[in-house]
Amino acid sequence: MIQTLPHSTLLQYVYNELPVERQREVEEALQHDPDLAATCADLLLAQRALDGVRREPRPQASEAILRYSRTFLSKS
Amino acid sequence: MDLMQPSDSALISLYLAGQESAFAILLERHRSRVFTTILLIVRDEDVAEDLMQDTFIKAIHTMKSGRYNEEGKFAPWICRIAHNLAIDSFRRGKRVPHISLTDNERLNNTLTIADDGPDDILAREETHTRLRALIQELPAAQKEVLLMRHYGDMSFQEIADATGVSINTALGRMRYALINLRKKMTANSLHHYDSNLTPFDTAPVCVQRIAG
Repeated sequence: MIQTLPHSTLLQYVYNELPVERQREVEEALQHDPDLAATCADLLLAQRALDGVRREPRPQASEAILRYSRTFLSKS
Repeated sequence: MDLMQPSDSALISLYLAGQESAFAILLERHRSRVFTTILLIVRDEDVAEDLMQDTFIKAIHTMKSGRYNEEGKFAPWICRIAHNLAIDSFRRGKRVPHISLTDNERLNNTLTIADDGPDDILAREETHTRLRALIQELPAAQKEVLLMRHYGDMSFQEIADATGVSINTALGRMRYALINLRKKMTANSLHHYDSNLTPFDTAPVCVQRIAG
């Protein structure tokens, strides 16, 4: 089946960049286009994987930033 | 956005009025995205932490000197600072091999999922380490868009403006970045990164988009 929406629109959809009206159009298309739904699921999979890669710095790094910020208090 | 949470803009106003706790919230909210953006460029956790500190120090100076433009969004702004500092550092050749002596310590500090056993945690961390390596293999332009959009929270239009290309080019690069990543993940058998969603669970599609 020919996909009813361009990939770029789907990409903006999964990253929540479309206005509400366009979102509804995409959701309607997803209901009736299995290929589009599969592509969308693939994008969501990639998104989830990328979320897993996110890392936290050690607490000491944040504490150093907060200490630095507090030095402005004594100046003002 | 959660309506109970103060906006970044409100936190900045409170911070400039002398409320240090507002900056602490702002830091907690954005440190992960900033750190990850930098880490995926410089590939060294100690360097990434140093650059994260430089990023926030630069932000503090800009805000405290009254030069922060309130009309802009904080997340894309600070991630652009982080991205630029990381690229500068990478070009100066400050990077070293990405295996850090403190990896085990970090693992203990950052993994907080209590329900999983040690083997699950290690397997997941190994998968993420391999995925980070696959991101490094992406063409530079694709990797840049991917970092800015996914971790930097910049819109495709903001990325287009920052990199001097059209929005369609930015979208196309992101599309190919994700396609390439999926291909590499399949080739490297990274299938078990998310047991809640498989490539065949497409009907019905449960869409959980990233909040804007």
